[in-house]
Amino acid sequence: MKRKVLVIGLDCAAPQILFNQNLQLPVLSQLMREGIYGPLRSADPPITIPAWMVMSTGRDSGRLGLYGFRHRQDYSYHKIWIATSYSIKEKAVWDYIREAGGKSVLVGIPPSYPPKPVAGNLISCFITPSDDKEFTYPQELGEEIVSQFGPYLFDVKFRTDEKDKLLEDIYHMTRHRFKVLNYLIKSKPWDLFMFVEIGLDRIHHAFWKYMDREHHLYTPGNPYEEVIFDYYRELDRLVGELISQVDQETVIMVVSDHGAKRMKGAFCLNEWLIEEGYLVPKSRPTSPISFDQLEVDWSKTKAWGWGGYYARVFLNIAGREQQGIIPPEDYEREREILIQKIKNITGPQGEQWQTKIIKPQEYFDELKGDYPDLMVYFDDLYWRSAGTLGHGKMYLEENDTGPDDAVHDFNGIFILYDPQEKQGKTKQASILDIAPTILDKLGLPQPADFKGKVIS
Amino acid sequence: MTKEFTQITIPTNLYQQLEEKIKGTEYASVASYVTKVLKEHLEKSPGEKEAFTSEEEEKVKERLKALGYID
Repeated sequence: MKRKVLVIGLDCAAPQILFNQNLQLPVLSQLMREGIYGPLRSADPPITIPAWMVMSTGRDSGRLGLYGFRHRQDYSYHKIWIATSYSIKEKAVWDYIREAGGKSVLVGIPPSYPPKPVAGNLISCFITPSDDKEFTYPQELGEEIVSQFGPYLFDVKFRTDEKDKLLEDIYHMTRHRFKVLNYLIKSKPWDLFMFVEIGLDRIHHAFWKYMDREHHLYTPGNPYEEVIFDYYRELDRLVGELISQVDQETVIMVVSDHGAKRMKGAFCLNEWLIEEGYLVPKSRPTSPISFDQLEVDWSKTKAWGWGGYYARVFLNIAGREQQGIIPPEDYEREREILIQKIKNITGPQGEQWQTKIIKPQEYFDELKGDYPDLMVYFDDLYWRSAGTLGHGKMYLEENDTGPDDAVHDFNGIFILYDPQEKQGKTKQASILDIAPTILDKLGLPQPADFKGKVIS
Repeated sequence: MTKEFTQITIPTNLYQQLEEKIKGTEYASVASYVTKVLKEHLEKSPGEKEAFTSEEEEKVKERLKALGYID
């Protein structure tokens, strides 16, 4: 491979902040001025898993069979499986590079635990149980990292009210990761060097309300108003240090898996399904419980849902679910009725919501894995879905499972800087365009059935 | 429009054997059992071990809950 590609992954980097000229990000601004940049439409769902793998494989969520971190197992009501590196059955860019005789350094790309063999070096992502576990490929790399840099930091606990401590933890983790990256970038051979820094996602979720004047919990003059901007500036500095180590021919890409925006609240989906007669509990909970703790009368239940940054809705189908009651021939009709009802859900003050609903079978060309019957983005994702119930109300001002101020947005960001083709233009791209662009810059052929296009 | 369900034909005798096999089990029908078996067949890569021990899996689930991806 004649040229190298460095891919800087900033989980959750948001266009309205990163592209804000007033923020003073000298390093990233220069890459933008001389490259191509713009919003990057995320995957459906716009969630960390599957989005990073959609980006890395150039395949959409339906083809990957990944619809989030967890999935139902065997159409059971409560058994789930968690997406890991083993769940990825499609080739990623580093597999094409390996086949062409090239090498990669890959750090923190979700999901990459357990570490799978690669041609090159790999450090797993934040789903790694701990650094006592094998978290690198080759295994010796883990010892090499820990002996030089101390315990490897995968993540922080962001849903906490101890904001100062959290801030310290995020900075500590990010600076630590960049030390490791600076080491790897000069000591290991690579054609592709790709990493994901998770700190930005965590700082968005934990501090968004302090920054966003439109957030319903924003207080003017609060001490954390600049925290998110400061962290972007810190990332800019760290990225500057890292890229100063690459040669003048290297293509640099900066990407995010999804964007972020203020959270308006959490909507208790299962509570609503109970009200509408779709979900029938044996008794109504009087204090907050998870859906798994709810005693459900499945013989009368037609539908239930999962929470998260988007909602998954499941129908109880005869012959498919253990105690299914909707006859398969009524599937489409029942689903359509439910869609109309969900579309009519309004906000706490009766305000109109821009709710988007996806029928996976129609939306994806190929559909693998354990997909839900409906994917729901309440009010264009402004309202997250709470799977918990028993709050005594349907609309929660704050998140149901610990402080969280931001939700995901459909547009993340990309910057493509090619020293041989200085451009300085903006355009909208799709997350599916990143894999083809990486292969193109490396001079490798494109799989014929890639849906994305080379960004140019 | 892609339909959620379709039909396949299998020998009646095989169907009856399967029906016997799932009696009293968690499977609601031969269809749901056959679906499970075929999905497993499709998805399992040979020689792949489990990603997490059950203890680790619980820990990871708790973490994902704390991160807002599951609730």
